[in-house]
Amino acid sequence: MSDAEDTAGAGGTGSLGRSVRRKEDRRLVTGHGRFVSDLQLPRMRHVAFVRSPMGHARITGVDTAAAVDAGYRVFTGADFAGVVLRARSALPSYVETDQPVLAWGKVRFAGEPVAAVVAGDRYRAEDACELVEVDYDPLPATVCAWAAPQVPVHAAAPDNVLLERRFEAGSVEAAFAAAAVVVERELVTNRHAGNPMECRAGVALWDAAERKLTFWSGTQVPHIVRNMLAELLDLPEGNVRVIAPDVGGGFGVKAVLYPEDVALCLIARGMPGVPVKWVEDRVEHLAAATHARDHRYLISAGFASDGALLGVQADVSCNVGAYSVYPWTAGIEPLMAGGLLSGPYRLDNYRCTVRGVATNTAPSGPYRGVARPASVFAMETVLDAAARELGLSGVDIRRRNLIRPQDIPYTMPSRLVDDSGHYGACLDAALEALGYEQWRAEQARRRAEGGAPIGIGFAVYNELTGLGRAASAGPRMPFRTGHDACTVRVNPDGKVTVFSGVTSQGQGLETTVAQIVADGLGVGYDEVEVRIGDTDTSLWGFGAFSSRQAVIGGGAAHRSAVAVRDKVLALAAGLLEAAVEDLRIEGGQIRVVGEPTPRLSVAEVARVAYLESNRLPAGIEPGLEATQFYDPVRGAFAAGAQAAAVEVDRTTGELRILSYVCVEDAGRVMHPQIVDGQIAGSIAQGIGGALYEHLVYDEDGNLSTGTLLDYLMPTSAEIPELTIGHLARPAANPLGVRGVGEGGTLGPNAVLAGALGDALGVAVDTLPITPATVWSLMRGQEAGS
Amino acid sequence: MDVTVSVNGEQHRLDIEPRRTLADALREDLGLTGTHLGCEHGVCGACTVLVDGEPARACLMFAVQADGCSVTTVEGLAGDDGTLHPVQEAFVAHHGLQCGFCTPGMLISALHLLETDPDPSRETIRAEMSGNICRCTGYTGIVDAVEAASSTMRDASRPPDRP
Amino acid sequence: MKCAPFEYVRAGSVAEAVTVLRDTDGEGKILAGGQSLVPILALRMARPAVLVDVNRIPDLDGVARNDGSVRIGALTRHSALVAQTEHPLLAEAARWIGHAAIRTRGTAGGSIAHADPAAELPAVAVGCGATVHVAGPAGERSVPATELFVGALMTGLGEDEMITGLDLPVPARWGFAEFARRHGDFALVTAVVAEIEGEIRVTVGGAAPVPVRASRAEAVLAAGGPAAEAGRAAAEDLRPTGDLHGSADYRRAIAGEMVRRALAQAGVGTGAN
Repeated sequence: MSDAEDTAGAGGTGSLGRSVRRKEDRRLVTGHGRFVSDLQLPRMRHVAFVRSPMGHARITGVDTAAAVDAGYRVFTGADFAGVVLRARSALPSYVETDQPVLAWGKVRFAGEPVAAVVAGDRYRAEDACELVEVDYDPLPATVCAWAAPQVPVHAAAPDNVLLERRFEAGSVEAAFAAAAVVVERELVTNRHAGNPMECRAGVALWDAAERKLTFWSGTQVPHIVRNMLAELLDLPEGNVRVIAPDVGGGFGVKAVLYPEDVALCLIARGMPGVPVKWVEDRVEHLAAATHARDHRYLISAGFASDGALLGVQADVSCNVGAYSVYPWTAGIEPLMAGGLLSGPYRLDNYRCTVRGVATNTAPSGPYRGVARPASVFAMETVLDAAARELGLSGVDIRRRNLIRPQDIPYTMPSRLVDDSGHYGACLDAALEALGYEQWRAEQARRRAEGGAPIGIGFAVYNELTGLGRAASAGPRMPFRTGHDACTVRVNPDGKVTVFSGVTSQGQGLETTVAQIVADGLGVGYDEVEVRIGDTDTSLWGFGAFSSRQAVIGGGAAHRSAVAVRDKVLALAAGLLEAAVEDLRIEGGQIRVVGEPTPRLSVAEVARVAYLESNRLPAGIEPGLEATQFYDPVRGAFAAGAQAAAVEVDRTTGELRILSYVCVEDAGRVMHPQIVDGQIAGSIAQGIGGALYEHLVYDEDGNLSTGTLLDYLMPTSAEIPELTIGHLARPAANPLGVRGVGEGGTLGPNAVLAGALGDALGVAVDTLPITPATVWSLMRGQEAGS
Repeated sequence: MDVTVSVNGEQHRLDIEPRRTLADALREDLGLTGTHLGCEHGVCGACTVLVDGEPARACLMFAVQADGCSVTTVEGLAGDDGTLHPVQEAFVAHHGLQCGFCTPGMLISALHLLETDPDPSRETIRAEMSGNICRCTGYTGIVDAVEAASSTMRDASRPPDRP
Repeated sequence: MKCAPFEYVRAGSVAEAVTVLRDTDGEGKILAGGQSLVPILALRMARPAVLVDVNRIPDLDGVARNDGSVRIGALTRHSALVAQTEHPLLAEAARWIGHAAIRTRGTAGGSIAHADPAAELPAVAVGCGATVHVAGPAGERSVPATELFVGALMTGLGEDEMITGLDLPVPARWGFAEFARRHGDFALVTAVVAEIEGEIRVTVGGAAPVPVRASRAEAVLAAGGPAAEAGRAAAEDLRPTGDLHGSADYRRAIAGEMVRRALAQAGVGTGAN
C-alpha cells in the first residue's frame, strides 16, 4: 500500500497526489453516517415484499383479504400493471421485454416481488406478508443459458435469446489454416454478485402540495433514477428529487432501477405525506438484486509456432436472468464480453458471437468489471494452453502478443481504440514485484525434492475507463453516458461549496472532488466542502459505473474550478488594477507574480462578489460560481497485470496464495490511498469470485445459496497480503487520470486458474476453483495417468 | 416488556416487544444508527457491539436479553471532546474504510482484539477479524489500521505516557 | 428478516424453565446463546410461541475438574471453553467455533442441543464419550452423548427437557482437525482423536447426520497400524452425502485426511506407540 504518512489534512495548495484525510471518514468512524436505512421521518411506514417461492409459475390467484382485514395496506401486480420497466436498445437483434413492478400473470424467478404490504414497522410488515395468499401453477424452469428452454421466459423470445451479436474481423479460417496450433476450450464461469455490505434501501415521500416525489435511495445513479422515475410515473422531471446519501457499497448492483424502487414510489404516491421505507434484507438481496458472470465460452485460438496469436473464434452465452436489466439491457454482459475478449493482445482475425439468454433466475446486471473477469479468464486460458503446447513460457507468449506503445492508437478487432499500450511494462513490473524467477526456482526445487506443488499464474488486461460519448455507444441505449456536470461556488465567506454530479459508495469522491477543486481554484483542501448525491443540488451526473467518475466527474470539477478561478482573478485584477496574467492564487491568497506577499485573499474577493457590488469592477457580474460539463468523447484504457504464486495441498485440494501482485496504470494518481484501496478491494472481490462465491440454482429455479452461510464472501483470513504497483502514464484528459475502480476484478480468475494449471498440469475449465474441484482435477489426473 | 439498558454510559428505559433485536432497539428506538445491519443472520459482523465488555452480534440478541446490561456502540468510542479513539484514528489514517458500512462492527471487533491481545501479528489480526466482512477494502487497510492502533495503544499504555 | 412474535420468559431456575416448557405443549423453545436459534427465527423457519431464556439461571456455567473428566455447565460460553485449561482438546475445538462475537454468546449446552452434525462440540462430546445431563419436569437424567444425537439437528431430548451440563472425560492424548471453506465457517469435516482409559477413539463430524465413531480406523490403530491407514479406513467407513461444497467422495477423502492429521497431532499411529 501507499505510505500512510501523508494523511494529515492538507492546509495548503497541491493536495492532489497526496493521501489527504478523507472528508467522509470522521462521520463514518463515529457512527454518524447517513445511510438510507438510518432515515427516520415522521409518520414513516415500512414496506415488505411478498416474493415468489417458485422459479417459474403462472399466478392463478392473489388473496389479500386476510392482510387487509388485519389492517395492512396491500398492493398487487394488478395495482401497478400500468407501469412496466422496459430496457431499450436500438441493436437490431435485441428483443425488448417488459419487467413488471409487481409480477402479474406469471413469475419468472424465485424472489420476484409479487405483492407489497405497508405496516407500522418491518416486523409487522413481514407478519403481513405471511397473510397474503398467492396461488401458483408451476411451469418448468430454465436456469441454464445453454440448455434448451422448455417454456420460454418471455413469449416475445421463444428461444430465450434476448440479444445476439456477431463481432467479425479478418478471416479466422485463414488464420487457423496457417496456425501451428489451434487450442479449443469450453469454459464456464460462476454466477456471483456484488453483495455490498449495505443491501438496497429506499424511502419515498409524495408531497401532494408540490406534486413532488422525493426518493432517498442507496443508488449509484441518482440522476438516471430521477430521469427514469419521471418517465415511469409521468411526472415533470423537476418534480422528482432523488437523494443518495451515504451508500454502503454498490459495485454495480445499485446502478440499476429496480421494480422495488418503482413500487415504493408508486405506493408513496398513493399515500400522500406518508414516507414509505423499504430496507432490503440479505436474503432478499441474494435472491433478487442483480447477479452476474454466469457465462459459457466456446473458444478456439490459433497460434503460430513462435506463439503469435493468429485468430480467435468464440461463442459466448451469458445468462441474463429473467429480465433485461433496466435500463442497461440484456446486452450489458454479452456486448462487453465480445467487445473486449481479445483484451490487450494484438489480433487481426476474430469472430465472436455473443448472446444474452433469459432464464428463470435473478436478472443479471452490471457488476464491477462487467463480463471481463470471465472474458480475461477465457483469453488467458487459451494463451496458457497454447504456451504449453508450443513449449513456451506463459510470460513469453504474452509478451509476444501484447499491444505495444508503438501500436497506439490500436484498433482492436471489435473496433474499440486502445490508447494505452503499457501492458508489457505492467507485466514486467508485476513479475519483478512477484519475484518471478525465485518462485520458478522454488517450483523446480519442490518438483525435484518433493513438497506442496507451486504454480504461477498471470493475467494482463485492459480496462476501458471514463467512456465519453463516442465510446459509450456500444449498447445503443436511448442515452449516452459520456458527460457529468459540476458546480463550484465560492461563498461570501470565501469557503467553497461544490455541487457535483458524482456519487460515492465508498470511493471517496467527496475527497477526490475536493482535492481537484482545491487545486484547480487555488484554495486549501479544508476550505472545500463537496455535496453529492442530490439531484436537486447538482445539475447532472450519470453516476458511478464503468470506472468513469474520476475521469469525467473529476474533469467537470476541474473545469468548473478553473472557470471560477478565472473569475476570481478577473475580479481581483480589477480590484488591484493589475493584469490578470500577473496574478496567481495559492492557498486562498492572490499574489502578483514576483511579489513576496499576497495582495488579496479569495475571501476578500468573494465578499466583493456578493456583498460589495459597489466595488465590482466594470463588466463583472456579482457572484462567484461556475457550472461546467466534461465529456472526454473517447475513453481512457487502463493497463493492468496481475500475477500470483500459489501452493496446492494435495490432500485437501486447498489452494493457498503465497504472493499476489498487481500493477496498474492509473494514469496520474490523485489520492494514493484511495487508488490502492480501489485496486485492493477489487482484487479481493475477484479472488472471492475465483475461489468462493457461487450463486447456485437447482433445476427448479430455487436458489440454493440464499444466505451468507452458503454464499461465501472472503474474509480477512482468506485474502492474502497484496502487493500493488503503479505505472503512472498520464491519460489525455484534463487531470491525466485513468479509472481504477474495476481492473482488480479482471485478473484473479485467470491468475488463479493459470497458477493451478501451472502447479498441477491440469486444465481449469470451470469456476469457482474450490478445494473440491481441485481435488477432483487431481483425481482425474491420477485416473488418467 | 420493560427493559433498562445502559448504552455508552447512558441509562435508557424502553418498553419493547420481545422479538425486537438489540440491533433494532439501538437503531430505531434509541436512534443510534451507527450500528449497522448487513445480514441479520450473524455472519457479516456489521452489527457487532460490546455487551458487558464482550463483543456480541446485536442481530442475534433480543433487546430484552440486554436488560440490566451495559452496551457499547460505535457512538461511544470517541472522547467526549470528539477526540477519536486510537482505533478510529488508525482506520482513518490507514484507509481502513471505504463505504463505512462494515466499519462500526470492524472498530468494535478491533477494540476487543486489542484488549485481549495488545500486540497481534498481521496473521492474528487477519484470523481474529475474520468475523467481520468488508466488501470494499480487500482488508489491506483494515489490517494496517489494526496493526497501527495496536502500536499506538501500547505506547499510550506505557506508564510514562499515562496522563 | 424479522422474527415472528413470541412470548418471552426469563427463567430463574432450571425447574422454572422446564415447567414453562412443559406448559407450552411443545410450542416452547430454549433460548441460550441464540447464535443458531436466532437466525432460524429471523428467517421464520421456526416460530415457537414461547422462548424460555435460560441465560440468567444461576450456577449453570463453568468448567470444573472432577477426577478424570470435566464438568461443563450448559451455559458455559465457547469463549470460556477456549480459555479453560482443564480440557485441552475442548479448548482447541472451541477455538474453531465461529468468531469472537459468536464465542462470547454461544453456549456448550446450546451447541449440544442444536446438534448440528458439522459443529465442533457434538463431535468432541461423542469423541470423548461425554455424559450429558438433562433436566425435565420428572427430574434429572443422564444420557451418553453417543445416544443423544439421533439425526441432523435432532436429539433424544424431550420438548420439555433442557441440558444442564455435561461430563467430558479428559483424554490422555488428543488431536483435533477441521476442514472448512473459510476461517470460522461450519466445518465440512471435523476429526476428533481422544485416548480415553487407554482406548483410542476416533470420531468424525460433518460426514454423517451425527458425529460417528470411525470403528475401522480404531481397529487399525488397535492393531498397531499407522495413522495414514487409519485415515483411509475412516474414509472407507463413511457414507456422506454430497452438497454444494463437494461430492460424497470428496468429503470422504478429506475426512480421512482430517483423521490422519488429528492422529498426528495426538501422536497416535506414528509407529512409535
